Amino acid sequence: MDLSEILSEDIIDLDLKGTTKDEILRELSGHLFEAGYISDIEQFVRDIYVREAAGITGAGNHIAIPHGKSAVVKKITIAIGRSEHLVAWESYDDEPVNLFFLFCVSDDEGFAQNHMRLLAELAGKIGKDSLVAALQGARTPSEVISILTA
Amino acid sequence: MKIVGVTACTAGIAHTYIVAQKIKDAAEAAGHACKIETQGTIGADNVLTGEEIAAADVVIIAHDIAVDTARFTGKKVVDIPISVAMKNPKSLIATIEKKLTQ
Repeated sequence: MDLSEILSEDIIDLDLKGTTKDEILRELSGHLFEAGYISDIEQFVRDIYVREAAGITGAGNHIAIPHGKSAVVKKITIAIGRSEHLVAWESYDDEPVNLFFLFCVSDDEGFAQNHMRLLAELAGKIGKDSLVAALQGARTPSEVISILTA
Repeated sequence: MKIVGVTACTAGIAHTYIVAQKIKDAAEAAGHACKIETQGTIGADNVLTGEEIAAADVVIIAHDIAVDTARFTGKKVVDIPISVAMKNPKSLIATIEKKLTQ
């Protein structure tokens, strides 16, 4: 198994339109719904906010890593988005964000452990500054996947 | 110096792994050897061995949930919330360098 198994071009959007955190979460969740990863947008967004209430998901470096751990998740994945504009978000460096990694995780802990492992590997990559800089310059979803699977 | 550490965040999905990478990169950039164990929802990965802990000059525990520290008895332990390592891993390493050489 490698990272390309949980990354998909149809859930990578490099031109997000939302200007608020809520709009961004709904936009990315909409992509997850259309691509068949979740069965209910409203419930998924509610579950994201459960995690948001537990602590900051703005990782610094203009990155946000919201995660929904939800019963409506059919397939574990990560939706990736970028916007031309900065969006206000609670962040460790108090800066707004424009690069979003929405973790889409089942609330069943035993579910798809191998995919959870891939998500963990991907999270590690988000901690690499050079890789984040490359993602900020990516022009297409396929380029995003190449950078993350390199 | 030799740095080992453990990361563990609330959900155990993202922060644990991001912070592990950030600490590792900052430590290696400053010329230190570094190994970080992640304790997430999938369990512990990159688990520290007894020898690695014994050989380490310092143990960094970056966590928002409880981490069992019995293994680290007698070691110099830097106990911090995830946020500290997330915000500024470089200054974390610099602070540790300063403290250890005092």
